[in-house]
Amino acid sequence: MSVNLASARVLRGLPQAAIACVAVVVVASFAPADGYYLNIFMQAATYAIAVTGLVIVLGYCGQISIAQAAFFGIGAYGVAIGTVDFGLGFFPSLVIGAAAAGLLGLILGLGSLRLGGHYLAMVTISFQQILTLVATNWIGFTHGPDGIRDIPRPTLLGFSFRNGHAFLALCLVTLVLVTLCVWRLKTGRLGRAMQAVRDNELAAGTCGIDVFSTKVIAFGLSAVVGGIGGGLFAGGFQYISPDQFSFSESIVLLTMALLGGVQSPFGALVGTGLLVILPEWLRFLRQVYLAVYGAAVILIMVFLPDGLWGLMLERVRRRAKPIEGGVAPLPLLAEHGEKSDEIVLDVQGIAKHFGGLKALDGVDLSVRRGSVHALIGPNGSGKSTFINVITGLYRPTAGRVIFAGRDITNSAPHLRNRAGLARTFQNIRVFRGMTVLENVMVGAERPGNDIAENPAAGVERALAALDFVGLRGDAHRQVGALSYGHQRYVEIARALAASPRMLLLDEPAAGLNLTEKQELGALLRRLKGHGLTILIIDHDMNLVEQVADHITVLNFGRRIADGLPNEVLANPDVIAAYLGEPRNEAA
Amino acid sequence: MLISRRHALLGTATSFAIIGRARADDVVRVGGIAPITGPAAEAGRFLQNGVALALEAINAKGGVLGKKMEFVVEDDQTTNPGAVLAFSRLVSRGDCVAYTGSIRSTQVNAIAPDVLKAAKPVMFGGTDPSLTQAGNPWLFRCRPNDSFSARVIADFGFNTLKKTKWVIVHSTDAFGNGGMKALVSSLDAYGIKPVLVQGYTNQQTDFTPVVLAVKQAEPDVVSSYFTFENDLGIFARQLRQLGVTVPWVGSPSIINTTALNLAGRALFGTYGIADYTPDASPEAKAYAETYLARFKAQPDNQSTWVYDALMLLAKAMNDAKSTEPEAIRKAIVAIKGYKGTEGTYNFDEKGDGLRGYNVVRNENGKIVFDKRVEFTS
Amino acid sequence: MAIFLQLLFTGLGIGAIYALVALGFVLLIRAASVVNFAQGQFAMVGAYMLVVCFNVLELPYLVSMALSVVLMGLFGVIFAFVTYWPLRHRGGLPVIISTIGASIFLENIVLVLYGPSPAVLPGLFDSPGFQVGPVFMDSQYLSILVSVALLVALQYFIFEKTLLGKKLQATSQDKEMASLLGIPVAGMILFTFAYSAMLGGLAGMLVAPVLFVSVGMGGLIALKAFAANIIGGYGSIPGAILGGLALGVAETLGAGYISVPYKDAFAFAMLLMFLMVRPQGLFGEKISEKA
Repeated sequence: MSVNLASARVLRGLPQAAIACVAVVVVASFAPADGYYLNIFMQAATYAIAVTGLVIVLGYCGQISIAQAAFFGIGAYGVAIGTVDFGLGFFPSLVIGAAAAGLLGLILGLGSLRLGGHYLAMVTISFQQILTLVATNWIGFTHGPDGIRDIPRPTLLGFSFRNGHAFLALCLVTLVLVTLCVWRLKTGRLGRAMQAVRDNELAAGTCGIDVFSTKVIAFGLSAVVGGIGGGLFAGGFQYISPDQFSFSESIVLLTMALLGGVQSPFGALVGTGLLVILPEWLRFLRQVYLAVYGAAVILIMVFLPDGLWGLMLERVRRRAKPIEGGVAPLPLLAEHGEKSDEIVLDVQGIAKHFGGLKALDGVDLSVRRGSVHALIGPNGSGKSTFINVITGLYRPTAGRVIFAGRDITNSAPHLRNRAGLARTFQNIRVFRGMTVLENVMVGAERPGNDIAENPAAGVERALAALDFVGLRGDAHRQVGALSYGHQRYVEIARALAASPRMLLLDEPAAGLNLTEKQELGALLRRLKGHGLTILIIDHDMNLVEQVADHITVLNFGRRIADGLPNEVLANPDVIAAYLGEPRNEAA
Repeated sequence: MLISRRHALLGTATSFAIIGRARADDVVRVGGIAPITGPAAEAGRFLQNGVALALEAINAKGGVLGKKMEFVVEDDQTTNPGAVLAFSRLVSRGDCVAYTGSIRSTQVNAIAPDVLKAAKPVMFGGTDPSLTQAGNPWLFRCRPNDSFSARVIADFGFNTLKKTKWVIVHSTDAFGNGGMKALVSSLDAYGIKPVLVQGYTNQQTDFTPVVLAVKQAEPDVVSSYFTFENDLGIFARQLRQLGVTVPWVGSPSIINTTALNLAGRALFGTYGIADYTPDASPEAKAYAETYLARFKAQPDNQSTWVYDALMLLAKAMNDAKSTEPEAIRKAIVAIKGYKGTEGTYNFDEKGDGLRGYNVVRNENGKIVFDKRVEFTS
Repeated sequence: MAIFLQLLFTGLGIGAIYALVALGFVLLIRAASVVNFAQGQFAMVGAYMLVVCFNVLELPYLVSMALSVVLMGLFGVIFAFVTYWPLRHRGGLPVIISTIGASIFLENIVLVLYGPSPAVLPGLFDSPGFQVGPVFMDSQYLSILVSVALLVALQYFIFEKTLLGKKLQATSQDKEMASLLGIPVAGMILFTFAYSAMLGGLAGMLVAPVLFVSVGMGGLIALKAFAANIIGGYGSIPGAILGGLALGVAETLGAGYISVPYKDAFAFAMLLMFLMVRPQGLFGEKISEKA
């Protein structure tokens, strides 16, 4: 099975792409010879390539970029300046242009280090505006507003692309290949990481994904694709000037992506195609047509939320096939599960102050390998702050965190996950835009996992994890369609698939009904039975009593008790602080 | 936000109208691009007025080779990509014997490769001198190019106004840069180096920094190449407000109708050079009268160049007794001494027809003809 | 020094225009979390309303202005119903795109209705301005500066001192809580749209004598106003005002002392610098996501 799966994945889409290549070459050679249709096709094809770049950064990674026309322009200027001023060949110039676009894309992506949403949008707009000004005013290099004319078309291996049909074929074949790559990217490891970042940055980080690098790479790839489109555009029209790559063109590209559906490169094709045809349809309206176009944009946003491609998919979507056949048992449990006195997590004197508020004040805690350790405490006792310090979302004011013998006090969240620390969240953080299986695969693919580099094994591992929590039949459903309790199981499966050294469960019983809580208890007992090291944070005493080998109690940011369950629960301080209320308070 | 009509996506040609009605086989059809939408939409309307008058004049005198002339227009949206698509759409109709291009040099640059492929005469109004010097045999200019505008500004400022401390204010676009370079070299011929050459980017909200730079340079004459009337209007008002009162000689935009309307008093007393002025010749005067009667407005060069372009095409086809591209081309090149609204056309091999400008004065809002400066080469 | 003062005055005048448009932006961001890319077109529509009332219908100037402002309020409500209401539960991006669609629609429908000729409007005062020492004070820039000051005062009064203002604030801080308290959240949001459109329209009317009235006039200003918002602190009202003024001064001084053709680049470079060094802007709160 794994061999078939692997080869199927490598070849995925290639036959269709080959057929599409042949088809577009045929179409291009039989396209009407007149300049108008060639120009329209050429523009549509090169724009579609740029829009496909937007699918990566906006659709997959969820980062707004209003600078795609700038990258398109950099690619175009690369070709124009390279061929006209430096006498380079078309293809070397294209590579230089695309590389320059990619480099600037990476730099722009660095802006996403601290910024998201509207801020990032504004950064990209500024970049776009500055680039337009440079192209207009740096006359010595860009030829200024006059633009660059007589851009040559290439010859490759003795075959000339000078003729319009041949060049159009080149553009279309490139479009097919770019579409193939971007489509395959979506279901690959990097693409999944991007979508995880899009759906939930925090959870992505705790799944071992380097959120920042992923965004930067998305910007870079998107810019390279934009640059390729622009380079071909320059060759197609043989004349470029700065106003062709202005802010308003970026808006046009963005609109194309959103209208078509930003989740898929096919959406990019549909959107670009539509916006080429729309004004042609509206031609009879003469001056009014742009007003009608503006109104059409609003209507499409209102009535077609997922874009046209999303609508088409909705119509043809079949019921996902349940997965048949057996799966290997989840291997993680045997691997790290030997119960011993070895300390997996050693927290020494952790303090976290928010201004004058001491949320944590010198807390010690040691989790032994193979044990289930519970951290309890009343609301506001510092439990959440504690878990956020352990997983790297907060920097502690003082103290150290040692995990598996390594000091991780100052490591980023994704690095802690890579070291084998997996967690779930109190308020569920699944990747809503993805299927159940994809969610769990993100977990399985954490760098450092034994199967992270092998896609087929990743699928198997994810299925095994889903099997363990009893959700294998739902593998291909959208995660948002599951019940709340099942979404929690998806989170647990995602953590299990990462083969963690330690599993950190943050109030796993929160929001569950009684039946679900009983099921959860059973699941935890099974995990315990397999010997997985678990740190569970909860105030549901029923659950804690069922599974805990060791209990630590926090109150007002301090540890007030630590020991075996029966000792701790008999401790008068604990009873006073926490259990003074009726025992069934949370049950 | 900066969404001008150009967003129209791929800049596709949009509006599409046929002026005049006749059956396909008994007309001679000329295609033209025009800004029907976009920042220059108003100029597009003037252009179409000129077309209408030219067609009337031509068809009243028997048309071309016994057939009526007809004009097909495509919208260029005031952008380069728009111009490329509009022009290629015209070419793809296959039934035009010749074309008119744009008054904007950058658009002519954009369509130049397609013009070469179409291999039919294209009359245009852009004034960037290099357009006719790139070896494209199908481009014919129906306005004097900027090497002449600069020479006229320099000649008038130096020889007539006797000014030597020059300031040049120019747009950084193709038109403005071209004009600035030409003027710098024309002044050089008189041994003058401008005290300030100041560029600005189109569509500004404020010109105070430019005006202050001008003021500091203490010129005795200001010369300018402005592209958009809005910019010119704001600059003119602020120039006067901040107390710069030295003579000002501007490129043709300084006297066009929109600029006069926008800037009002601020332009009183300025000099402009104009390829078209009603008082420059009987032909120009006659055209102005017809235009005024028909459209209740004064004409400007936005309509005259295309009027002349169609008249020249009609003459060339009638002279050649053919609508074959090469025959028309030869006939246009052969035109000497034709009196049009813009001046007397003497075409050379490169495709330049005019070599002179009128100098005019803005006297309290009225444009008064001052003199015509003509060069022979 | 004289030059510096003149540039400073002009920068403040220009900055006040940005601030006025930015103010309209901020209110919508706060009340409805909407980034309105048609804010510049609000200014354009407002200016054309004044043109129609004053130049065409020949009403007195101040009557024309008052009538136009009222009409803009109505326009704002219609705008909200078309571009915002159907998309209000779908997050930020769809609304952004629909306001972009609206901006294209508005510019072109005005082009069709009014025609392409730019229009001229006189200023509030007959005199073009006066000389104070070395500085020429343009009367229209002065009117804009004064208007901004008055509007800020008015806005402060409405938001801080009236019940309506309290309700508006509650709505912008927590919609669910506000509706639990019986505040008509939908009404508050519609009111904000109306008010924002009035502000935008007023900005257009005030700059019309400076920039002339053309369909593209709003786009010139809106992008800078948005940048002013971020520099001042996203969603902050004093930030929008100070951001606008700072941007106007910075780009005018930059153009005066460094380079005129790169004038627009100063504004955006300043913005980028802020985003890198102090992304919360002058008055913004720290950006962080709660775990």
